[in-house]
Amino acid sequence: MNYGPLVFLAAFFALATSWCGFVLTSQLQIGRLQQTNTTSGATVTYPVARPGLARQGLEVYRANGCAYCHSQQVGQSGTVIEISLTDAGTNQAATITALLNLAQATNNEATVWTALPALELRASSSAATNLLSGLPKSFLRGSDPTAAKAAVKALNATSAKAQLLIVPIGPDLARGWGKRRTVAEDFLFDSPVMPGSQRVGPDLADVGTRLPNVQSHLVHLYAPRLVAEGSAMPSYRFLFEKRAIEHGPSPEALVLSGKDAPPPGYEVVPRLAAKALAAYLVSLHAEAPLFNAPMTVASAATSTPTNSPTSSGIAATNAAPATAPAK
Amino acid sequence: MSSPSQPSTADTGAATRCPVASADIDASCRLPLVIFFLSAAAWLLCASAFGLIASIKFHAPGFLADSAWLTYGRVRPASVNCMLYGFCIQSGLGVALWMLARLGRTTLAAPWLVIVGALCWNLGVAAGLFGILTGGSTGFENLEMPGYAASLVFLGYLMIVVWGVLTFHQRRERQLYVSQWFLFAALFWFPWIYSTANLLLLRLQARGMAQAVIAWWYSDNLLVVWFGLVGLAAIFYVVPKLTIRDLHSRYLALLTFWMLVLFGSWGGIPASAPVPAWMPAWSVVATMLGVVTVISVFLNMRRTLGGKCLLFMRDPSLKFIGFGLVSFVIGGFTSAIMAWPALNQVTQFTWFIIAKGLLNSYGFFAMVIFGAIYSIAPQVVGHPFPFPKLVRAHFWTAAAGILLFVLPLAIGGILQGLKLQHADIPFADITKGTLPFLRASTMGDLLMAFGHVLLLANVGGLVFQFYRARAVTAWREATAEIQMTEVRL
Amino acid sequence: MSAKVNQSVPLRAEAAEPKAGQVAVPVWLLVLLFLVLYGGMVYFDRTSGWFSAQVYAPYRSLQEVEAFQPVSGAPGLIQLGLQVYNKPTCVACHQANGKGIPGQFPPLIRTDWVLEPEPGRIIRAVLDGLSGPITVEGQSYNGAMVPWRGGLTDEEIAAVLTYVRQNPEWGNKAPEVKPERVKEVREKTKSRNQPYSPEELLKISPAD
Repeated sequence: MNYGPLVFLAAFFALATSWCGFVLTSQLQIGRLQQTNTTSGATVTYPVARPGLARQGLEVYRANGCAYCHSQQVGQSGTVIEISLTDAGTNQAATITALLNLAQATNNEATVWTALPALELRASSSAATNLLSGLPKSFLRGSDPTAAKAAVKALNATSAKAQLLIVPIGPDLARGWGKRRTVAEDFLFDSPVMPGSQRVGPDLADVGTRLPNVQSHLVHLYAPRLVAEGSAMPSYRFLFEKRAIEHGPSPEALVLSGKDAPPPGYEVVPRLAAKALAAYLVSLHAEAPLFNAPMTVASAATSTPTNSPTSSGIAATNAAPATAPAK
Repeated sequence: MSSPSQPSTADTGAATRCPVASADIDASCRLPLVIFFLSAAAWLLCASAFGLIASIKFHAPGFLADSAWLTYGRVRPASVNCMLYGFCIQSGLGVALWMLARLGRTTLAAPWLVIVGALCWNLGVAAGLFGILTGGSTGFENLEMPGYAASLVFLGYLMIVVWGVLTFHQRRERQLYVSQWFLFAALFWFPWIYSTANLLLLRLQARGMAQAVIAWWYSDNLLVVWFGLVGLAAIFYVVPKLTIRDLHSRYLALLTFWMLVLFGSWGGIPASAPVPAWMPAWSVVATMLGVVTVISVFLNMRRTLGGKCLLFMRDPSLKFIGFGLVSFVIGGFTSAIMAWPALNQVTQFTWFIIAKGLLNSYGFFAMVIFGAIYSIAPQVVGHPFPFPKLVRAHFWTAAAGILLFVLPLAIGGILQGLKLQHADIPFADITKGTLPFLRASTMGDLLMAFGHVLLLANVGGLVFQFYRARAVTAWREATAEIQMTEVRL
Repeated sequence: MSAKVNQSVPLRAEAAEPKAGQVAVPVWLLVLLFLVLYGGMVYFDRTSGWFSAQVYAPYRSLQEVEAFQPVSGAPGLIQLGLQVYNKPTCVACHQANGKGIPGQFPPLIRTDWVLEPEPGRIIRAVLDGLSGPITVEGQSYNGAMVPWRGGLTDEEIAAVLTYVRQNPEWGNKAPEVKPERVKEVREKTKSRNQPYSPEELLKISPAD
C-alpha cells in the first residue's frame, strides 16, 4: 500500500488544525478588533494611532532590535477590590452602624479588614471618631465583587460617600511597570508588534507614564550609565551627532556630565532617529481602563491603594507574596 | 551492500523498480550535499562570530557601540538567523535529501536543480543578513529577514524540496521506514509556515496582536516541530545503522510522529502574552503533552540499544547523536515542567528561556546534524576526513561549550526570575546578579565557536582533497604521453 | 573520467539500511497520554475562559470579568481630559508637563492662546490642525499640528481643552469648555478640511 499520501494527509491535517487554531482564530478574534471604549464612564475611544514622530520611533525601535532586551507585556496575577470611604457624611452614627453591619455580614477569612477593628468600635466612641478621621480610607480589601458592590450601596444610602476601587496586583505592577496588564487593544495600531521575550532591561509597556520626560530618554539613549548605574544597555551614540557649537548652544543639546560630556566647544544633538525613538517611548501608555482589564482610575480624592497581594478577590494562581511597593 | 527488496506488485509502471546501488545514490547526491554542508559550516562560523560579539557586549557595553551595524539589537538576530537558516535548515535539508534517496533506494531527482536551489537559499540568507545589519529587520523573532530575502529563501527551499518530494515519489523500496514519514512531513511543513508567516506579517499585515500570535506560531513550528521531525529522522536512521541493530518499535515511532505533529505545533504562546487567556492555556496543555513524545523517543532508543548506552561512545558520529538525544530528552522534560504556570511565571523573560532555546536548537538539532554530517560526508564524497582527530576534538569542545552555555544561563535565569518576583529588589541589582552567569556563557560561546572552526576545517579539507584528487587525475590523463605503437608496414 | 574515483569508498563495511521492529507501544505510555490529556482538559476548562476574546488571565470566565467592572460613575471633565491628553494624543508633542519642546512644539503653560476667555480659536486648532509659523510667548515655532476632527469626539475635545485650561500644576486658570460649544464650532467648520495658519486663526474671533 502506498503510504506516501497518508503521511502527507497526516501532516496536512495536523498543521491545518494548528493553523485554524492560532492563525485563523487570532485573525478573527484579535485581527478584527476595533477601537473600544474605556470603562471610565464617558465615551473615550482607545487606542488612538500614534502621532507621526512616535510612529517613526516605532520603526527605529524595530530597526535597532530594542525588543531583544525589553519586553512590552505587563502581567497581572490578580485583582483586589477595596471600598474607599471618601466622606463620612452628615450622620456619622449611621455610617458607623452601616460599617459594623458590613463587618458582621462579610465575616469570612477571605476578607481582610483594614482600619476597622469591630470590637473596639462598640467599646468607645473615640475609636469611632478616629475611624472616620483622616479620610479617604479604604476598607474591606479583598472582598468579592458582589459583596463589595452591595457594601458601597449600603454606605451610600447613609449620607456617606463610598467608592469601589478595583486594583490589579502582581509583581510587575508592584514594580511600577504598569497599572494593569497589557491587552491586545494596547497594540492595535502598531505594526510590527514587538512584545519582546526578554527582560534584560525593564518592561516598556507603560514607560510613557513612568518616564514622561523626552530629554531623560535622550540622555539615557546616549549614555545609559549616566541615568541608570550598572545598566547593561549599550550606548546608542550613532543616533546622535557631536558637533561644534556655532552661534550659541542649541536648545536640543543634551545635558551630559562626566566622561560622556562632550569636550568644550562641542555639543551633542539628537538626530531625527533619536527624537523619534524618544517620542515613541513617551507615547507608550497601557493604563486606560478597559472591559477586559478592569480597574478604577485613581482620582485625587481616593487613597492610593497599596499593591501588596495579601489576599485577593480572585485567587492569584501563584500567590507570590510581594512586600510593600518600593516606588 | 543493501539487499534489494521484492518490488511490490501493486506498483504501476514498475518497469525500472530495481533498487539503485548505494554508490550510485551517493554519487548523485555528492555535489548538492557538498554545497549544503560546506555553506552550512561557513554560515555556522559566521553565526558564532556574531554571537560572540553579542555576548561580549554584556561585559563591556561600550564594545563596538558606535557602529549602528554592530549594535546588540542587530547582531543578535543576525547570529540567530545565520544559525537557523544558514546552518540548521540547510544542513538539515542536505541530510534529509540523502536519507530519502538512500531509504527509497533511488538516486536524487535532478541534482542540478537542487544545487540551484541551494545557491538561491544561500543568496537569500546573505541578503537577509545584510538586511538585518542595515536596520531592515522585520521585528519578529526568528523571522527577521526582510521581505526580499525571505522571498529568495522561500524560492530556494521550493526548488530543493520539489525534487525531494519527487525523489520520495520515485522510490523503489515501497515499504516506508520511520525516518521517511518524518522527513516527508518536514518537507511540507516549512513552506506552509514560512509562507503564512511572511504573507500575513509582511505583505497583508494582520492587525495588532494577531501579528505576534502568528510570529509565535511560526517560531514554535520551526524550532519544535521542524527541528524535531528532521532531528528525530536522523536519530532513527543513523543510530540503528551504525550500531547494526533494528529500531525497536515502529509503533512507538508512530506515536512520536503523531504527538509531535499534532501537539508540537500548538505550543509557542507565552503565558503572559497580551492575548485572550485561552491561547496561552492551550499552549501550556500542548507543551505538557510533549512529555509523551519525549518518553516514546527515549524508550525506543533505549530498547534499540538493548540498554547498552555505551554503544554511543564507539563512533564519533554516534557520540554527537547520543548527545543530541540526551539534550532532546532533557529539553523536552524541562519544557513540559516549566510550562506549569507557577514555574513559568518565574522563568519567563529570563535567561532561562535563551538557555532552553539553545539546548533545543543547538544541543539537540545541531549536534544530531553534526553527527549525521560526520557520518554521511565521507561516504558520499568517498574520502575519509583529513583530520580524524579533530572530529573527536569537535565533540568535546561542543559538549563542553553547550554545557558551559546552558547550565549557567539556566541557573542565572531562575535566580533572575525569582528576584523579579519581588518588587523591592531594584532592577539594577538583578542585572548585576546575572553578570557572572553571562561570563560563563561567553566562555561556552567561545568553545562552540572553536568547534565550528574544526568542523569547517574538516569539511572544507575533505571537499578540497576530493576535488583536488579529481583534478589531479584529470590533469594527469589529459597530459599523459600518447602511447606510440609501432606500425609495422 | 575514470570510474574509480567515483566509487564511494566505504569507511567501514556498510550495513544494510535500518529496519524497524514491530513491538507494540507499552500500555502504560498510552495510559500516561490519556492522563495528561485529561489533566490538560481540566486545566483548560478552569483557566481559559472557553475561547472568549474578552477573558484575559488572571480572570477565568466572562462572568468574572463582568463582575469586576467598575461601577459606572462619570469622572470629572478634567480627569477625562487627562486620559485624552495621554492617549497619546497631545502628550507626544506638548509633553506631559505641558512645556512642549523648544523650537519644535509650543508650550501650553499660561500662554495667551490657551488662556483666551473664549475657546473658539483653540477648538478650531484642535479640530483642523495648524500649519505655518506661530509665535507663542515670544518664541516662534514652525511645525505642524495634527488635526483631530476625526480622531476625537466633542466630549473628548471639550475634556482635554478643559484639562489644559484648568490644570493647577501649570497654573492655568481659564473657563472650562463645554461639549456643546465644541459641537457648535464643529458644525460651523464642517466643510473645512485643511489646517489653519496662525494668521488666519488670529483673524477669527474667539467668541465665534
